[in-house]
Amino acid sequence: MERLNSWIARLVFVFLYLPIAALIVYSFNSSEVSYRFDGFTFRWYAELFRDQMLLESLRTSALVGVIAAVLATVIGFLSAFALVRLRVKGRAFFVGAILIPLIVPEIVLGVSLLTVFSSAGLPTGIVTLVLGHVVITLPLATLVLMGAMSSLDPSLSEAATDLGASPWVTFRRVLFPLLRPSILAAFLLSFTTSFSNIVISTFTAGVGTTTLPLRIYSTLRTGLTPELNALGTLLVVATLGVILLVGVAQMRRILAGPRP
Amino acid sequence: MNKKFLAFGAVALASATVLSACSAGGDASSTGAAGSGSLSIYAWAGEIPDSVIEGFEAETGIDVTVDTFDSNETMISKLAAGNSGYDVVEPSQYAVQLMVERDLIAEIDKSKLEGFDNLAEKFVDPSFDPGNTHSIPWAWGTTGILYNEACTGAEVTGWADMWNPDYAGKVYMLDNMLSAYIAGLQVNGLSATTTDEAEIATATDSLLEQKPLLGGYNSTNYADLVGTGDACIAEAYSGTTAAKAVEANPDVHYIIPEEGGTLWTDSFSIVAGTANEDAAYQWLNYTLRPEVAALVTDDASLASTNAAALELVADQSQVENPAIYAPADSLTNSEFIVDPGDALAYFQDGWTRVRAS
Amino acid sequence: MVDVNTPRTSRAAGYLMLLPAVAVITLLVIVPMVVIARDSFAVSDPLGGNLGGFTLDNYAKLLDPVYAKTLGYSLGMAALNAAVCTVVGYIVAYYIATRPAKTQPVLLVLVIIPFLTDFLVRTFAWITLLGSGGPFISLLRLLGVEAQSLVPSQLAVTLSLLYAFLPVAVFPIYASMRSIDPSLKEAAADLGAGWWQTHARIFVPLSASGLASSVMLTFVPTLGVFVIPVLLGGGKDPLVGNLIVTLFTEFRNEPLGAALSMVVLVLMLLSVAAAGLILRARSGSARAGRSRSPKKASAV
Repeated sequence: MERLNSWIARLVFVFLYLPIAALIVYSFNSSEVSYRFDGFTFRWYAELFRDQMLLESLRTSALVGVIAAVLATVIGFLSAFALVRLRVKGRAFFVGAILIPLIVPEIVLGVSLLTVFSSAGLPTGIVTLVLGHVVITLPLATLVLMGAMSSLDPSLSEAATDLGASPWVTFRRVLFPLLRPSILAAFLLSFTTSFSNIVISTFTAGVGTTTLPLRIYSTLRTGLTPELNALGTLLVVATLGVILLVGVAQMRRILAGPRP
Repeated sequence: MNKKFLAFGAVALASATVLSACSAGGDASSTGAAGSGSLSIYAWAGEIPDSVIEGFEAETGIDVTVDTFDSNETMISKLAAGNSGYDVVEPSQYAVQLMVERDLIAEIDKSKLEGFDNLAEKFVDPSFDPGNTHSIPWAWGTTGILYNEACTGAEVTGWADMWNPDYAGKVYMLDNMLSAYIAGLQVNGLSATTTDEAEIATATDSLLEQKPLLGGYNSTNYADLVGTGDACIAEAYSGTTAAKAVEANPDVHYIIPEEGGTLWTDSFSIVAGTANEDAAYQWLNYTLRPEVAALVTDDASLASTNAAALELVADQSQVENPAIYAPADSLTNSEFIVDPGDALAYFQDGWTRVRAS
Repeated sequence: MVDVNTPRTSRAAGYLMLLPAVAVITLLVIVPMVVIARDSFAVSDPLGGNLGGFTLDNYAKLLDPVYAKTLGYSLGMAALNAAVCTVVGYIVAYYIATRPAKTQPVLLVLVIIPFLTDFLVRTFAWITLLGSGGPFISLLRLLGVEAQSLVPSQLAVTLSLLYAFLPVAVFPIYASMRSIDPSLKEAAADLGAGWWQTHARIFVPLSASGLASSVMLTFVPTLGVFVIPVLLGGGKDPLVGNLIVTLFTEFRNEPLGAALSMVVLVLMLLSVAAAGLILRARSGSARAGRSRSPKKASAV
């Protein structure tokens, strides 16, 4: 059974990269239509680098994604810590409140956020985009971190305290290292959620801050162009490349000997 | 100690790479046009070719920012919230009516315009904006039928073919209320701009009757579906997508249905209370020039509203292509789809029933 | 600050730590929701304006069976998607959590990388893959099977929804599973528990909060999905999210859209509350079963 589980999981990874493989193949397709492969070309990559509007929207999305994900992860961490590790009263109430954005249909949240921002005199732009994205990513980050904290063994921090460690040392040396992968999970989930959001961005973007998904969504009427396949390919390949590089460096450090 | 943070760093690094790779290009465009004012345009994606923007920036030194929207309604709600920061918008015909009534766009001072008489007759004094007081049409098209002859096995002539049971499961309608009702009304010999409750009810019945035959409602990739033959026949807008589909597959044809033609047009309007009025007028005048207007056909495969531009289009086969420029004889009794006003409620009730059936 | 021995100071610190979240939620969620709740009782004009005033007409209109039908269909789709995603998410999360500590972050990142490509671009890649010119159909035809395009089909919708929501299922389950003591698994094996038993008795109960999060995060957002059903399912059956978008945009009827949103909101709040109650009962027993110092377990 254990082996079957592993095989299914590996198949899921294949499943995840199947469309990416198609994307890569079609990014070199010289035909303008996606249903036919006519021949090999670099044309779409050339067009991609000429498309200033698309590249600027990519920059906007990356910027908003990083800021929103950092904010959501930090706020989510603080909230999860308070809710799970400390004896805060009214826990159910706070959890419920943080989860509301998940329940509200996005268009409703978007429309009403626009109303609120405009009556507050806040012009739409990067700031409103970030605020909108923090709202929808906060529940994700909080849930992931709450899950991580609630299954931590409480005896670990108790043992540390019993051994005379101060609360801060306990946190830094015991809890934080245990939670690190989950913090990473929360950040990644928040980043990709922000990076791919369409509806909230529609209502919170301003002059010159069209995000990448907004830009792509608006081109649907005239059809998606193959240069988007080229962009997708570059994003995936670049990230994989960086991870590979970092992974190699990591291996070296491990081989060089144990760290302090 | 930081091994897991490395993966974290990997993502941050990747984002940073992306950021720096793009910022170089982004900054170049904004420093290029220093100090001669700016213009923010909110438009349909793919309707303003880069060549038009670059030409305008080079000539005037005005820094242009273009943002794109996916529907008139989202554009209107952004403007209605106030303080949008946009100077020029590109509403479709019925959206012009709505924006005029809600005071979102400013009246155009004709004395400041040059080249207004370049517009084709159909777009001067149109039904949706009498006297062109608030809008200068830029691109136009029709709502018709895209079909794959290898799949239908016969020539398609009108809306009635979209009710043909032989094509069951391979008929696609546009996922848009007013567009769907064009077919529903005209197939019954009714006007596409009717506001009569009984006529709209007749159309609703036809659309309900059609639904079991449908492969689906689709406003996005219907042209690809027709190209592969997954769809035999689809309601379609003329323009970039239809032109591409016709070009890619000799079996694919775009026609204006014999029951009647309907027009859409997207126009430039000046946002009420804009801070860059001069730049906005410069934009209107620049885009009224025939050689500039011709670029919408050359670079975006869309029909230009500018009569003087037609002979300047570099590739004249585009002007002959019915998927871009509908033949004049099929447009004799064609109308603009305008806002139905109070009759909107009849359409909505009917459409809700059709979609949920 | 983290001192479990002085509940009062730690509780005060807790409230302080909750402050940013409370501020965000109050200003950016509660206030907008009050605006929407107010709008749901407003009178609309055909131009899309909001005339204010007070009426119950919007809610009365929702009694039309058309809305109940759409809502029912949406809930069914959402339940199916939540179940599929959570089961697959559990399998993947378990796989990741049982790898060596060094590979776990790499695998997590591998799960998320495909999502750096745009959602629509990915969806179109699926259409290409499953469509009549794509590899699946070509392969079937090569084998002599007469196959129709898989788009539009319910299968294509389900696959594509799983694809879109898999990370939000994997991550919370992984996070809650990660800290399960591996010695428990060995102990279970020593006691002769099979794979199913080990999971049913240990892993599932101990990762209950992650599983609940996964269900939440996949169930509710499915209601708002509108691109996938159109592109891969033919768009003949709208989901409730689709309907709300139509009401707000094409129908220019913000008050009616607001009323429908309020109905969805209340339904969802009720189901979340119900899930919370069930979870509390479950996690209470799980915690008691695991903790080595049951007396202090409540501090967690």
